Amino acid sequence: MPPDNDPAAQAGNNSSDFVRKLYKMLEDPSYNSVVRWSADGDSFVVLENEKFTKTILPKHFKHSNFASFVRQLNKYDFHKVRHNEESGETPYGRDAWEFRHPEFRADRKDNLDNIRRKAPAPRKPAQAEDAFPATQQIVVLSESLAATQHQIQALQEQYFELAQTNKVLVNEVVSLQKMVRAQSQVSSELITHLNNIEDRRRNSRHSAHSSHSSHSGPSYHATNLGLLPDGADEPAAELRRAREILNGVSPDSQADRELERLSVAYHQNGSPSESASSIMFPQQQQQQPQQQGGGQMALVHDPLNDPRHMVYPVGQTTGIDPFHSDHIHNIPYSRPLSNPNVMAEASQISPPAKDQAGSIWGGKKPQILLVEDDKTCARIGSKFLSNVDCVVDTARNGLEAVDKLNHDSERFDLIFMDIIMPQLDGVSATAMIRMVAPRIPIIAMTSNIRQEDIQTYFQFGMNDVLAKPFTRDGMVRILKKHLSYMLKDPQQQGMSSDDPNQGVGAPGPGPPASSQGYADAPPGMTIATMGAGAQVKFEQTPIQSPTTTASWHSPGQMQQTSPNLDSGGYMSAQIGSGSAGMVLTPGGSQRPQFTNQVAPTMNRMGDGMVGLGDDRPEKRQRLYGPSQGAFVQ
Amino acid sequence: MAYTYDRDDEDTLKMAAADFGDHVDTATFSQILEMDEDSHDFSMPLVLNFFEQAEETFEKMDLAVASKDLPELSRLGHFLKGSSATLGFTKIKDSCQIIQQYGSNLNVDGSAEPDEAVCLKKITAALEEVKVDMEALEKKMKKFFESD
Repeated sequence: MPPDNDPAAQAGNNSSDFVRKLYKMLEDPSYNSVVRWSADGDSFVVLENEKFTKTILPKHFKHSNFASFVRQLNKYDFHKVRHNEESGETPYGRDAWEFRHPEFRADRKDNLDNIRRKAPAPRKPAQAEDAFPATQQIVVLSESLAATQHQIQALQEQYFELAQTNKVLVNEVVSLQKMVRAQSQVSSELITHLNNIEDRRRNSRHSAHSSHSSHSGPSYHATNLGLLPDGADEPAAELRRAREILNGVSPDSQADRELERLSVAYHQNGSPSESASSIMFPQQQQQQPQQQGGGQMALVHDPLNDPRHMVYPVGQTTGIDPFHSDHIHNIPYSRPLSNPNVMAEASQISPPAKDQAGSIWGGKKPQILLVEDDKTCARIGSKFLSNVDCVVDTARNGLEAVDKLNHDSERFDLIFMDIIMPQLDGVSATAMIRMVAPRIPIIAMTSNIRQEDIQTYFQFGMNDVLAKPFTRDGMVRILKKHLSYMLKDPQQQGMSSDDPNQGVGAPGPGPPASSQGYADAPPGMTIATMGAGAQVKFEQTPIQSPTTTASWHSPGQMQQTSPNLDSGGYMSAQIGSGSAGMVLTPGGSQRPQFTNQVAPTMNRMGDGMVGLGDDRPEKRQRLYGPSQGAFVQ
Repeated sequence: MAYTYDRDDEDTLKMAAADFGDHVDTATFSQILEMDEDSHDFSMPLVLNFFEQAEETFEKMDLAVASKDLPELSRLGHFLKGSSATLGFTKIKDSCQIIQQYGSNLNVDGSAEPDEAVCLKKITAALEEVKVDMEALEKKMKKFFESD
């Protein structure tokens, strides 16, 4: 605010109109019982709030709202006087309001002009503001609003595009998984074949029957099926390991179903691409990222019908960089992306348990309670558990389970609990069991693996989730995780047969030939194939299409004269002709060129996608190198 | 326990011979077969039992359709879905999922389907389909186990 102490210059200034009215009101002695100067004349007191509001306010201020009066006072930097702080007593009564401004005194009427509104727009001189008619303020505000809306729209478009890309990727992963499955079947056939050759070779050697070796006749399988090795004659270690690896790949992991769900959901939701016809919008100008930005991007919901889009944060910051690292790492997309790693991990720790010599448990066999209303599932689950040397008891519903626990709360070491059951559901049963057995691990078995559901399970005292349909390996994983203290020797597990399984808690360095080989192979395949597939698909999405760059503003309601204005930042284009007070986003110059803005964006997206399977730089290069050329001009 | 993948190989070949196609997820079903110790002493009664269970469930579903009892249909769908999924009977599982969803007035993608008539129609169709699939599956399973 510029210093402006010349009283004459302020004569015509109505900036202190309110203050003048206030002073005038206090000059009227008839109000003395309601509102008056304090004894010292350095503050004024509203003695009777109600009367003041009803009679005096309307007369002098044309309203009868005490709160607005107080707000107005605050705007002029009046402050309420707190009496107990001053003297420990209230000289004007409990309900009195005393206000003070250092310049507002009964004996200084000439000083009124020095009482001004606190500056709402510090860059603007008070005069300019007063000259600003309210309508113009509304114009400025609505411009700001429109700009914000525009930004939200742009963000939505970006979101659509991301969703679109994700959809493509999910489909790609799903189809690749099918391929991998087929491949492993083929491998299985090949191993069988090799096995037979191996056996045949060995048999012929052992029996010195060299003439028997008529290679690869068409009747090979039929004649040799029975000729499998006896106990003394171990098959080749490589073949055995290969088979173990294949067996270890359990495609029914949670990741698979999540992906399946995604791909189904995507197909049902229809394509949002109609509205996603514009390119990345250069609004990344704000410094202050907002956490919700990432969190509110719904993954599967139809963005157009998703009400959460309407609660996009439009607070003090009118701009937001959705690709700021704070957001990009908090986007729920990471869930499907990280799953392949989980799969790889799971496959390393899932041995065919029966191959192990003896029990995996130390002294006592774990006592497991399986709570499941479905007979078939209960039988399979029991079988899986007894197969890994657990003692299993079953309950057909939550009530039975609670009964068993009430009868003997110490009996079981772990509980597998179905969720949806007659009589008493698994969550309620867990809550009840927790009253008698606070420590026992309770594992939810469910096909509801949505985040919210899982949170509910945990809230009610469950410890973990086993996705349905469950697998033996899944169960073994849970057992090893929650009953690690009962294991014979976590480190020793699986070492005996050189198979890739290690203890769950600590997946030690696997045998290089097997686990390592596997862990690398499928992602490698994925990447290589995707390099081709993804690029083709990318070209269909509008993100990369250079032709759309010129129409980036078309879906907006704002009239943009030229995309060139971007170089100065989007916001400045919006309000370029506006007042100096509307400085919203000063950061535009950081990203001077449009094309430069697209490139980093896509790079960062690329980084995220690489998480799919491999982070080795050379692979990244292979995958994303060519496609970048297609969309960066 | 002796290394027994010879059995698994046999099963793999048998599965191929039984032509499960997309009826059965062989990976899931294989791990059931792996639980067999002597012949198919575990898996066969399990599967036969499942077919009985399915038969009963279908009867209940028919009744529920007749009385337009959507919640019951959802429950039954969920019930049969669990066992069929655990056995790897993919087609059955998918139909059960449809029945469960529409029984809860939901489309397959989880969006609301308030029209009860539409739901019943979809359920009826899925029920017809799952019955046909079950019959086909039963034949295949019989073939698979009979070759023991």
